Amino acid sequence: MADEKLSAAQRSKIRRIANPKELAPDEEGGELNIVPFLDIVTNVLMFVLATVTVTFTATIDTFPPKAGGSNVRPPTTPVLGLTILIVNEGFSIKARGGNIAPGCDATGQGLAIGKSSDGKDYDFDGLKKCVTHLKKEFMSSNPDSDETSVTISANPNIPYQAVIGTMDAIRKGDDNKDLFPDVNFGLAR
Amino acid sequence: MQPTGPTGPTGPTGPMPPRQKPASMATYKRLLRKEIKRKAIEPEINFLNITAMLDMMTIILVFLLKSMSQSSASLPQSNDLQMPKSVLSTEASQEGVPIIISKSHIMVEDEAVVDVPQDATHGVEAKYKRGGPNDLYITKLGQTVKAWRDTDRQIRQATGKDASGSEAIVIADKDTPYRLLVEVLFTLGQNEFNKFHLMVLQSNKTGGS
Repeated sequence: MADEKLSAAQRSKIRRIANPKELAPDEEGGELNIVPFLDIVTNVLMFVLATVTVTFTATIDTFPPKAGGSNVRPPTTPVLGLTILIVNEGFSIKARGGNIAPGCDATGQGLAIGKSSDGKDYDFDGLKKCVTHLKKEFMSSNPDSDETSVTISANPNIPYQAVIGTMDAIRKGDDNKDLFPDVNFGLAR
Repeated sequence: MQPTGPTGPTGPTGPMPPRQKPASMATYKRLLRKEIKRKAIEPEINFLNITAMLDMMTIILVFLLKSMSQSSASLPQSNDLQMPKSVLSTEASQEGVPIIISKSHIMVEDEAVVDVPQDATHGVEAKYKRGGPNDLYITKLGQTVKAWRDTDRQIRQATGKDASGSEAIVIADKDTPYRLLVEVLFTLGQNEFNKFHLMVLQSNKTGGS
């Protein structure tokens, strides 16, 4: 009934109930206070990013040396048969059965590529030029050949870094074309 | 002025006024709802909702931790093991048994198998080799990788992969002598491992030392 009057007690009760409740500070928003958790996560994230050194790795694929023997049929097409021996003084290179002489222009005795002028570092640039030259000469007389395999061998004390540097130097030419990416390791007995 | 009090304006001698009769429950509830609605405060957003940001950061954190634990970046780069640098920029292969050649040990899947001598230019010590100091086959390493190879062969057969050979990821120190490297590769080759992934650090410099 619209004209019905409320009693004093009813009016008082309505006033009391209808007043909005004051929320405690931690109840505001009605959700869990996750700010401390967020602080922790941020700290952990920053710590991880700052301490972990980002290193990018790669892998060089190689294969075991192929077994050779007297019953292996000799190749019917001419092959370059590039072999690089890493010694303490530089690189000795063999191609088409002959030793490449210093200067990389002809066959003969001696190391094809010596160490750099200070005698400390291997001349990887010189090795790349020599190998590029050998491949170019071979390709000019055998245009159908696509030989990309090389045998790398080294003295027993040659460090692994020098072997990897050698593989890097002969993988691609300056024109970014493949030189000798397929590496077999020779067994230094 | 006539006093007024609880007894009403008629004075102490007058009759008590009748108490107000309470309204019906329906009226009471209707008016209560109306009052609650009138006094209700519009909810205002007085705080920053950071839940979405928290979700994002947690996902990034989990992603970082997971990817770092899986990648080879988790390999400890210490004085005992420093990988060589290469200009190669292809993605590192993750397939195969990891063989670690540090300055002090040869390890297969984080388990030290053979000690590496101080001067390793002649490979590992003769007592670890099959036929004396000049042999290339490391017996104990061979036994360990053979067990791994047997398991891998069964997995490859069951999953329809080529079971004729297994793969190995070789993680060697940059100063590892060539002789020691060849002994490890030879031993792996003898146990039907036909592909090796030599792990390197990417660098801009050829032969970067």
